[in-house]
Amino acid sequence: MLDFMLFLHQDLGTGPIRSPEEMMAVTKEYMAWADRMRAEGRLKGGERLANDPGKVLRPKGGRIAVTDGPYAETKELIGGYFAISATDYDEACRIAESCPHLKYGGRIEVRQFHTM
Amino acid sequence: MSEHGGTDLLVEGLFRREAGRLAARLTRLFGPARLPLVEDVLQETFAAALARWPIDGAPERPAAWLAAVARNKALDRLRREVREQPFDEALFDAMPITEEPKADLDDTLALMFVACHPALGEDAQAMLTLKTVCGFGVNDIARAYLTSSDAVAQRLVRAKADIRKLGLTFEIPEGGELAQRLPALLQAVYLLFTGGYTAGEGEDLIVAEFCVEALRLAELITRHPATATGEAHALAALLSFQHARASARIGNSGELLRLAEQDRSLWDRELIARGFAHLQEAMTARELSVYHVEAGAAAVHASAKDFDSTDWQQLAQYYAMLEELKPTAVVRLNAAVATAYAEGPQIALLKLDRLSGDRRMDDYALFHATRGDLLFKLGRHEAAHAAFGKALECPLSDPERAFIATRAKSCRRVS
Repeated sequence: MLDFMLFLHQDLGTGPIRSPEEMMAVTKEYMAWADRMRAEGRLKGGERLANDPGKVLRPKGGRIAVTDGPYAETKELIGGYFAISATDYDEACRIAESCPHLKYGGRIEVRQFHTM
Repeated sequence: MSEHGGTDLLVEGLFRREAGRLAARLTRLFGPARLPLVEDVLQETFAAALARWPIDGAPERPAAWLAAVARNKALDRLRREVREQPFDEALFDAMPITEEPKADLDDTLALMFVACHPALGEDAQAMLTLKTVCGFGVNDIARAYLTSSDAVAQRLVRAKADIRKLGLTFEIPEGGELAQRLPALLQAVYLLFTGGYTAGEGEDLIVAEFCVEALRLAELITRHPATATGEAHALAALLSFQHARASARIGNSGELLRLAEQDRSLWDRELIARGFAHLQEAMTARELSVYHVEAGAAAVHASAKDFDSTDWQQLAQYYAMLEELKPTAVVRLNAAVATAYAEGPQIALLKLDRLSGDRRMDDYALFHATRGDLLFKLGRHEAAHAAFGKALECPLSDPERAFIATRAKSCRRVS
């Protein structure tokens, strides 16, 4: 088994305003997905990041410049991640496909952890 | 907190109910002028649940979790604004994280009095109640009121601006002011119920929930000593009787069933008993309200063991009273129907034909359908067919249309 990181990308901003009923439905869907990953023993971890653009640090003229994120050319940010295990990229992508994040307008970047 | 609590901890409608409860508490803290801020805090609170619960599992006491997060988000907001407007952090001790029914009742009623202020207009009152007190979404409200989400959103924004301009306070009014403002509250609950009752006839389960909410609010109003008037009990009685029939109204293939066709064993006996208990309390009132008469009429149906043993004489009397109090198209039509059973179709038809001068009846499908029904009973099948034809030209929901089309066809078969 290999480990993969699913980066959850989303558009900058707060997204559509949902009613409490809709928020609950979405929450339940994500929970059910995470529960299934846990039951299959695949879920290695996960976190959600605060819904703000963050900061970007880069070296500039011998010192470090700190600017508001995200990178200037992008309109999206990483909203969180799940770490899962799978046999290969194919399986990792199939798993990512089942994540409700895609259904709600987000994008997922799948990356394999470095193995020795 | 449990290790990865499952979704089964999340009972149906939890977020919606907590949204109403938290809105009431937060509005007490922030004041009615800042309802938009209250809504932002709620939005952030549910977003926090979406962010945490899939990873941590559902908390063992989700309602308390949401309350604690809402409290912190509200505090953050105030701290950020502290330079503009100093605030007393101790106030937040007044926001209980645990459930406390008495405070909930007071807060919810105070919020209802804000939402149903007479200066806001009837539509806005009902919409604002649905949004803030009941936690429904703008889309749900738009469906019930057959309008666009944008229109509802604009109406709500305007109402919230009015609340700020009017400087409404967060309290249950007393004395003469209470007597003046309670009718609007009851009216909004009544509209909520009828909105759910008619729109809920399709497969729109959320909108059908409006009825359940209206019943809950009517119960709530009758639980508080300040608002438990005879009129309030009469409203609670009416809604109990009506809602008791809810599951019997829809047939196996989703079609509407008339009273005569309903399986009365499906009626909710417990709710009917509650209706009678409220009706008893309602009788202590000095004045007779429209709700008293409507509840009385609903009680006649509720206490008939089958359609044929309905006390039509009494029902006709109630409708005659109602015609005096509230001469709307619907009431006058129902009065004619009651007459048909009490005194026969011939007299009912005369009564109905007197209404045809009323322009509101022209494109009211039920008027023409009822005429068709009476004509059919009198053996005048050609005229009945024409009346059903007119009914089909009026705006109708799909189940209604199918029903009336069947009746129209049956006229042809007999003649």
